Amino acid sequence: MKVLVIGLDCTPPRILFDKYGVELPNIGEFLEKCARYELRSCFPPITIPAWLCMFTGLSPGELGIYGFRHRKPGDVRESYIVDSRKVRARTIWEEASSKGLRVSVLGVPPTYPPKPVNGYMISDFTTPGPEKPYTWPPWLKREIESRFGRFIFDVVYRSWEKEKVYRELMQMLKQHLAVAKWLMREKPWDLFVYVEISVDRAHHAFWRYFDDQHPKHEKHAVLGDAIPRIYREIDKWFGEILSILPRDTAVLIASDHGAKSMKGAFAVNEWLIEQGFLKLREYPKKRGVDLSKEMVDWSSTLAWAWGGYYSRIFVNLMGREPFGVVKPEEYEGLVEDLKRSLERVRGPNGEQWKNIVVAPKEIYPRVEGDAPDLMAVFDDLYWRAAGTIGWGTPYLEENDRGPDDAVHDWKGVLAVYDPTDSLHGYRGEINITEVHRIIKGLLGL
Amino acid sequence: MSSLSEKVAVYISRDLYEKLRKLAEEGGFSDINEFVEFVLREVASASEVDMSKEDEEKVKERLRALGYI
Repeated sequence: MKVLVIGLDCTPPRILFDKYGVELPNIGEFLEKCARYELRSCFPPITIPAWLCMFTGLSPGELGIYGFRHRKPGDVRESYIVDSRKVRARTIWEEASSKGLRVSVLGVPPTYPPKPVNGYMISDFTTPGPEKPYTWPPWLKREIESRFGRFIFDVVYRSWEKEKVYRELMQMLKQHLAVAKWLMREKPWDLFVYVEISVDRAHHAFWRYFDDQHPKHEKHAVLGDAIPRIYREIDKWFGEILSILPRDTAVLIASDHGAKSMKGAFAVNEWLIEQGFLKLREYPKKRGVDLSKEMVDWSSTLAWAWGGYYSRIFVNLMGREPFGVVKPEEYEGLVEDLKRSLERVRGPNGEQWKNIVVAPKEIYPRVEGDAPDLMAVFDDLYWRAAGTIGWGTPYLEENDRGPDDAVHDWKGVLAVYDPTDSLHGYRGEINITEVHRIIKGLLGL
Repeated sequence: MSSLSEKVAVYISRDLYEKLRKLAEEGGFSDINEFVEFVLREVASASEVDMSKEDEEKVKERLRALGYI
């Protein structure tokens, strides 16, 4: 049996299953034949590590991958970013390759630099640029470019030039869909995995025009239709590829996490300063400054943090950090104190938040790699975390990295069409790591 | 014997062998072994992709602009 996995980065159940604001005639009809699940993403629910969890069946702790970036003791900023070589675990396409099955992999983060597979691979948006060797085999790149032009890996969506963002996004999506269809038709495969990032970018750029529940919802004749158009384009393509797939193809449609409205950004280091955990030599005169090693008074600092879709908190531990002041015997107590204090953080108007603050060892079966001391999400993800300082307050109305409308949500989607099984309808919740087992089963591995 | 001159056997299917033998002849290689070694060396060197400091900075910059970091 062939297995096709279509990954829609960031698609929530509300869009795919409840059809909120979108028309999906082809996908909608197909979903009737599928077993449908609400997919529980990993902690943290971010593109990296979420797709990896899906395609290896492992948690972020077991993978030793907690986000796009990681730090080694002594560094305040990132020491390295995750690329394909940092992934030690075997992915489903590597397992399939090793059993002699032919695979095609397109756009799965992080697959740059591409590793050899028994088939074809085009890497993802973490590729440094289209001038790089982003395919396996290496000559596939030339074939792609001669047919589809320079490969587009991503768009810059954090811009107020929204109509330009939309045009570029649509251009990228159309190219990806055409490449995927061509690969599907022209190259042999048993397992085809395609992740489309345009959906995530569209959510972040246009959610306020799309979701009438968004706190800054705006009606806009053109931009209001941006997200629906992106999905319509995918739906049209899906209708086309259904007609070229062999009848016995199993099809999975999945996302790595969901999406919802962003309410604001919580500047964690501002809060740590307020609470006395972090001490600066001098408070910055400019707003939105990244924390650096030189800015911190390490002799009086107990902890500092990173922002992003979630916050990572690092303890200034003696023996581990170059200017560590927290004694090993004080470590657990401090972590507990930070955890309780962060859990109690309330909104700007005193409203109660649902904050989730965990130590990696509490939630993963194993903790590999360069894990943070604590991981935190604020207001159940509605408030993203900001690592920058100089704001004079921990509560920011907008994201510190530029305009953004959406945050991630815990629940993504999974729809499974198995031609040998009549199982269909809503089947409840499923963990993201379970998808690996399902694909393996369908491939007979 | 150095690892460069030491040879090992790799098994491939007969029909592929015949195709490669023909290509080696047409290409003026002295034998199929020389041809296969040449082609595979090319593939191996094209696959040795190094993420330079500059590449890494480029990706970091993009990830920052995307709000991931």
